[in-house]
Amino acid sequence: MATVKINGKEITVEDGTLILDAATSAGFEIPTMCFHARLSKLASCRVCLVEIVGQKKLQPSCVTPVMHGMEVLTESPVVKSARSAMIDLLLANHPLDCPVCDKGGECELQDITFKFGPRKSPFGEEKRRFHEEDYILSPVIIQNANRCIQCKRCVRICAETVGAEVLGSIDRGAGTGETSFVKEYLDCDHCGNCIEVCPVGSLMSRSFRYKSRPWDLKGVDTVCTYCGTGCQLTVQARNGEVLRVISKPDKGINHETLCARGRYGYSFINSHERLVTPMIRKGGTLEPATWDEALKAIKEGITGAIRNGGKIGGIASSRLSNEELYLFQRLMRVVLKTNHIDSGSRWNTGAVKTFTEVMELSRGGVSIYDALNTDTLLVIGSSISDENPVTDYMIRRLSQNKKMNIIIASPRGMKLDSSAALTLRHRPAAEGEIISGISRVLYDKNADKLNDLSGKEPLKSISKENISSLTGTDWGRIESAANFMSSSNSVTIAVGNDVLRGPSRLEFLNVLVGALRLLGKEVKLFPVFDRANQRGAWEMGVHPAMMPGYSATAGNGLGCEGILEASSRGEMDVLYVIGEDIVSDFPDGRFAEEALHRVKFLIVQDMFLTETAKMAGVVLPGASFVEKDGTFTNQEGRVQRLRRFLPPQGDAKADWEIIAAVGAAVDPSFNYGSAAGIFGEIKEAAPMYREIAFESLDGSGALIKETNRKGTDLKSVPSVASQMPAASPDPDYPFVLITGNHLYHSGRLSLRTDILRDILSEAIVEISEEDAKDLKVGKGDKVVVKGERYEATLTVHVNKRSAKGVVFIPENFTDVRVNMFFTKGEGLPRVRVLPLTGKSHGGGIK
Amino acid sequence: MNRNHYNFDLNGLLKKVFFVDLIQGLFITFHYTFSKTITMKYPDEETWIPYKRFRGLHTLNKNKEGKELCVGCELCQKSCPTQCITVVPMQDTTGKGIADRVAYRWEINLLRCMFCGLCEDACPTEALKLGREYELAGTSMQRHLLTKEELLAPQAVPAEFEGGVIVKARLGTDETGIKVVPDMSVQKRWW
Ligand code: SF4
Ligand code: SF4
Ligand code: SF4
Ligand code: SF4
Ligand code: SF4
Ligand code: FES
Repeated sequence: MATVKINGKEITVEDGTLILDAATSAGFEIPTMCFHARLSKLASCRVCLVEIVGQKKLQPSCVTPVMHGMEVLTESPVVKSARSAMIDLLLANHPLDCPVCDKGGECELQDITFKFGPRKSPFGEEKRRFHEEDYILSPVIIQNANRCIQCKRCVRICAETVGAEVLGSIDRGAGTGETSFVKEYLDCDHCGNCIEVCPVGSLMSRSFRYKSRPWDLKGVDTVCTYCGTGCQLTVQARNGEVLRVISKPDKGINHETLCARGRYGYSFINSHERLVTPMIRKGGTLEPATWDEALKAIKEGITGAIRNGGKIGGIASSRLSNEELYLFQRLMRVVLKTNHIDSGSRWNTGAVKTFTEVMELSRGGVSIYDALNTDTLLVIGSSISDENPVTDYMIRRLSQNKKMNIIIASPRGMKLDSSAALTLRHRPAAEGEIISGISRVLYDKNADKLNDLSGKEPLKSISKENISSLTGTDWGRIESAANFMSSSNSVTIAVGNDVLRGPSRLEFLNVLVGALRLLGKEVKLFPVFDRANQRGAWEMGVHPAMMPGYSATAGNGLGCEGILEASSRGEMDVLYVIGEDIVSDFPDGRFAEEALHRVKFLIVQDMFLTETAKMAGVVLPGASFVEKDGTFTNQEGRVQRLRRFLPPQGDAKADWEIIAAVGAAVDPSFNYGSAAGIFGEIKEAAPMYREIAFESLDGSGALIKETNRKGTDLKSVPSVASQMPAASPDPDYPFVLITGNHLYHSGRLSLRTDILRDILSEAIVEISEEDAKDLKVGKGDKVVVKGERYEATLTVHVNKRSAKGVVFIPENFTDVRVNMFFTKGEGLPRVRVLPLTGKSHGGGIK
Repeated sequence: MNRNHYNFDLNGLLKKVFFVDLIQGLFITFHYTFSKTITMKYPDEETWIPYKRFRGLHTLNKNKEGKELCVGCELCQKSCPTQCITVVPMQDTTGKGIADRVAYRWEINLLRCMFCGLCEDACPTEALKLGREYELAGTSMQRHLLTKEELLAPQAVPAEFEGGVIVKARLGTDETGIKVVPDMSVQKRWW
């Protein structure tokens, strides 16, 4: 600890604290420009100069640490005049076109000039001008380099946090302008974080161009509803029209960062395609109806089914709030007496159950900052840089300041690979085998210490040749992964939801975790989800085998696949689908469509008329995330608030209100009046939520906690070794097709936002560099991807680091229905890639 | 006078007999009857043009090249104590303004305005001026919500005109009501 005197006030701070931070905590304000708390230190602007008594030269407080006994002056006459002179230097070449500049009103240069700056300038020279008109740098950025003050915050955030490294500076000294090295369109992540950190109006948002002054905006702090990272963001609107989304440095785990989806994926809120009234099918077409008519039709449909003892099922999206998901399962289980419910349509219901157990989700939340405070981090089952961009930023940021071995196991290459100590490129769907391989190496090396390891028998029967051929990964790499782990004191294993796409050998994770714990390592498990409330959905019990709080159900329920199978046999009387486009998402689009045709009464509740909604008997219009109250639980187990800010469009209603109305139509005692009230009931049903206060949740929310833990849970351990036959290469169809979310898109909602559509709206196919060479195609070329039942023409993207033989098509686009390549029960489809010279585009059934 | 108060006052008597006070009074009246008229024949024949410093109806101005000076910076809106101005900016690449930022909407609710002139002071481009139009009575509320287009139309009194004079005028009627139309060429001072 160091005791220092700042402007005569004595305070004690940690050793190594920056003078800037010490002064701030003592209540003094020091202006800064180039400094940014979470970026590397540059100390170039010198507006933060302070006087250290006894030293002749003034020192930049943003890089100078305190020393015991130091006496610092931040307001002495020398400091004041030097500071004002430095600000004057910044202004010397600044165009001072504030009235036109979009940053006016929230500009850091305006603010410090007003507070600390000169009132008059001696500089009379002509100002430097790089260009007359602002120029477009990317689909999201417009730049005015004349206003740049060379703080390089943009360059630093892009390289250090986003990992894109596309911004650089040209020239030096007074002639420096921040721009891409060449002044051309940026092909970057389009995250807009450079705009967010730019202190002046040099990098500006194109979508917010000349829309409003900040003081005319009304905003709400809420949570991003795209991926499981759960970023806090602020939605701002003028006169009810949402104009932008910003991130705040002091809010949320993401601080000032967001990804393209979070920052630009909002305009679906004001989309004219939104459903604004309920609809009922009359004579083959969906006709607008009133709520009373729709609810009456639903009541008739459901009571009829109940009377005849028919099957009722429900599928809700994992993008609904906890309150809605809880109410949905309550409606299904209590009012409609069915266990046939599921969240989402892409996951294997059994794999989900195993996942929740082996990932120890019932033990409560683990903060990402705790999880990343580790010696070794294994990321598996997720293209994390694309699916959870801000989680990727956090890993990159934290790994710069501390030694952390990052191991990435994935079939696709990703941006985070460049921060990794080791990458394991493996065959798609071989995550379980990779884990069993690592466990085997650990076991071999420490057999004496692992006598009590449960699951060691199947482990022993694993041969290195078998694993190598199953995973397509070099055994040496699997060995080094194990070595990294055994030489670490703490290991974090981040597992993404790709392992849920089919039956996986995930039980081996239990063996690995057990082995590491027996070896005395601290092990943390960190789930990674591509849907914002995936964890909440399971915790609310929207799963055929799990009740709220992960308690087991009594009955036998069907998951999504089971429900569709029952439907295809004509056994499903009523199916209530909320927010999920099954026809487009279920891996076998043809089967899903045929099955849903045989559902006797299909109710779909959504914001848009999706492919699934088009088949419904009754369509109910739901609300967007800024139009309702509620909570989300992110992948960490952090509960964050969703806040109502705008009234729902037209006659649309918050989804929980609709579920409550549907319930009340069938059973009048099903009575819920507010999201807060439902949350009160959640606390009873899922004790992990007991300590969370709905009303006072703010900033970064609160982690759920394990409560009343009795003994250890019954955990699944593998009974036999992996016996998946090594995929025999089929010369006709040499590629394996995998799917997932594209960096700019998430699910099917983001394609309804104009900015994200501007960035990318046509489906792409990603292939490895090696394959591209073999096929003699490059980025932007068209290829035909041919499966056994479907083929599509797509634009090639080349991923330098992907495994050979893997083809990736994002599941977000409407022009190509990637789920049509799949055949239920047959795992990942095999495809052929044929180069094409023509320009035609789109998918078609063969 | 006090000394003579109780004495006989011949002077006073003569004044009364010959109506001296009355004649003196009437003389003033007659004097005005034949001197220069100072009554302003407003609104039928004449109207008062205020000085430049007057704070009347707002005008939005253009520069010499005819480009809109307003850049939609919203500062006037921010500075207005009664919040009667609404400015919504937009991007414009047609070159109709002095910058590529122009006002998409510029509206004022005159019913709330107290003509304090703070908006004019805040305007960085001198686009906004409080002009010399003061006949603001109207028959409907709607007439008092003025838009950019109406404010961009030049006012009857040009900005350069010194003011502080009475000018010839004529009472005109049109669909918006009664209007006094000044003729700046025939002026007179009222003193
Ligand atoms: S938008 Fe993101 S990726 Fe693109 S330049 Fe800015 S910080 Fe870098
Ligand atoms: S563009 Fe903005 S953030 Fe980048 S160096 Fe210039 S002022 Fe700093
Ligand atoms: S999509 Fe995920 S990473 Fe991106 S802003 Fe939203 S929560 Fe954050
Ligand atoms: S004159 Fe005063 S009250 Fe009227 S618009 Fe201007 S600032 Fe507002
Ligand atoms: S009138 Fe002046 S102050 Fe008002 S928006 Fe236009 S330029 Fe800005
Ligand atoms: S903020 Fe310290 S030198 Fe720029």
